[in-house]
Amino acid sequence: MKPLRIIFALIAFSITTTAAAFAAAELLETGSSLVYPLMNLWVPVYTKEHSDVKITTQSTGSGTGISQAVAGVAQIGASDAYMSDAQLGTTHMLNIPLAISAQQINYNVPGLNDVHLNLSGPVLAGIYDGSIHFWDDAKIKDINKSVASKLPHEAIIPIHRADGSGDTFIFTQYLTFSTPSWKNGPAYGTTINWPAVPNAVGANGNPGMVQACQGAKYSIAYIGVSFLDQTNQAGLGYAALQNAAGKFVLPTESNILAAAAAKDKETPKDERISLIYGPGANSYPIINYEYAIVNPKQKDAATASEVKAFLTWTLTSGQNKSYLDKVHFIGLPASIVNLSKGQIAEIGS
Amino acid sequence: MAIVALSGASQRRSRVAPLDIVLRYGTTATAATTAAIVFLVAAFLVVYAYPALAFNGFGILTHLEWNLGNQYGTGVERHGGFSGAPGASFGAIVFIVGTVVSSAFAMAIATPLAILVAIAMHYQVPRRLKTPVNTLVELMAGVPSVVYGLWGIGVLVPWIANSLGPFFAAHVPMLSFIGSGAASGNGLLATAFILAVMIFPIMAATMRDVLSTFPKIVFEGAIGLGATPWQAVTTMVLPAIRTQMFAAAMLALGRAVGETMAVLMVCGSALNQLPQSVFAPINTIAAVIVSQLDSALTDPTGMAERSLAELALILFAITLSVNLIARLIMRGGDRVKRTV
Repeated sequence: MKPLRIIFALIAFSITTTAAAFAAAELLETGSSLVYPLMNLWVPVYTKEHSDVKITTQSTGSGTGISQAVAGVAQIGASDAYMSDAQLGTTHMLNIPLAISAQQINYNVPGLNDVHLNLSGPVLAGIYDGSIHFWDDAKIKDINKSVASKLPHEAIIPIHRADGSGDTFIFTQYLTFSTPSWKNGPAYGTTINWPAVPNAVGANGNPGMVQACQGAKYSIAYIGVSFLDQTNQAGLGYAALQNAAGKFVLPTESNILAAAAAKDKETPKDERISLIYGPGANSYPIINYEYAIVNPKQKDAATASEVKAFLTWTLTSGQNKSYLDKVHFIGLPASIVNLSKGQIAEIGS
Repeated sequence: MAIVALSGASQRRSRVAPLDIVLRYGTTATAATTAAIVFLVAAFLVVYAYPALAFNGFGILTHLEWNLGNQYGTGVERHGGFSGAPGASFGAIVFIVGTVVSSAFAMAIATPLAILVAIAMHYQVPRRLKTPVNTLVELMAGVPSVVYGLWGIGVLVPWIANSLGPFFAAHVPMLSFIGSGAASGNGLLATAFILAVMIFPIMAATMRDVLSTFPKIVFEGAIGLGATPWQAVTTMVLPAIRTQMFAAAMLALGRAVGETMAVLMVCGSALNQLPQSVFAPINTIAAVIVSQLDSALTDPTGMAERSLAELALILFAITLSVNLIARLIMRGGDRVKRTV
């Protein structure tokens, strides 16, 4: 009697679940590991309100996000970097900003982790190309007069991402836009041709960067702002960066907003633009849009309308600070939300 | 008696024969499939990597620089009739050296240990403890590599950075000038340690099996003639089975060469430079394929992905030759024994 009941229950369960699976539209979001925590805040709330849709989220890296969105495997590819002209080629893909992220430069210099060292693009370029070896280098002392005597004569360990990364993309853009020798040398990309620095270490993912920076004294690393809580817990310092106006600024909400406001009028209709090293006295220099990469031609009308509905929700209810603050992201300015909505309107089947 | 058995067999034959046919062709087919899969993998790699083979030429074996090219630049780089992103150049020498050197270091650490442990397991461990000890070593061999990698990140790397590196810098003056690279702990030494820990149990278990093929009576005879156990093992047992022991070591080497995840976690992912000291960051073929894949997928020319396939082809060739060498040596050893 009992086993029979279990079998019946199983059959009933499987019928109802398959029925549910057929009724619901299934969307796959994959890509950037920076967007992933935000998606994990958004998706449960959204699918609770919209029980007819099932959204799977994956943290696979921006490159995978882009390629799977182009291939049609994923409906939404998350990327820290917008697609280049060469990547777009003849395909038409939408690059829709969902939020604004920033990146901090973390360092592990015992005794100085509680002060915010001043760092500039040229100094960081010098550290990462090997021309600046020690923490007490004259170029670092020059911009840190108040703590110059405390800077140790220890070799700097520059840590960079070993895997392909949107963080590498925006960090190297900062170096490229601020330092001519870097522009003519390694330039920028999700993976670049790192100069051979004997101490340099590659780490995997943002968690790997935190771990490596914490584990190695006198190291320096670039880490996405959504890991600010972790880097603070790890006792790492973070730098005030020199912006295009020459001022050293911290990645505070107001400085990130100032940087976004300085660029929002320039943002073109397809929203593929770098926000790095923009104008403005208080603009923090390393910020970026987090993108949803979406094919405007979805496989059927039902999928298209579900993608549109979800993306529209992320730009309205989803911009609430209750979500964004948890990952230290900043909401999009109204004009950018409108541009993004304009792009979402292009999605069809 | 024989007649009875034969007639029994013929009676049964009529019922069993179809199954025999199934068994014969089934096993032949699966065996052939196994061989075919190896060839298909090789063929796939060659076909898939072909554009990279043409684009990179022999440069991949000589160049230090691994550069996907500027994916946000304009224009393309053309070589051998195929195009890559502007500035693209793919040199694998850093990864080949990293793979070979880290595996060699790991072998140097693991092999003597494995031989000693195998000898201990076979001759020294009391019978009552044999099963638990054997099970333990086999369990170690079965631990997923990512677990070793986590231990490497959490324990080994900080230990090298904070204890071993500074100790070498302070007390081994010869190494101190190259020892500065210990600073981060990630690198050749950490990789070699992790690989050694991973391959040592496999090696020890295989070597114990090899030892058990050696007739125990000969060992006991040597003891009876007054040899110490150490003398008996080193003068009688090991020389007799050295080719099989070598083959066991080579099989473990095959695993070290292809190990990916644990290596990726502790190697320091060096690019564009060869290690200058045992503490310096390195990179291996398997690790770089994983870490570069995501970026390679965004290369609009596709050349980065093809070049990773070429790396896989190189790794395939290295693994295959390690196995072939092991087999040839084992064959040679057998022949010698037979003539003796």
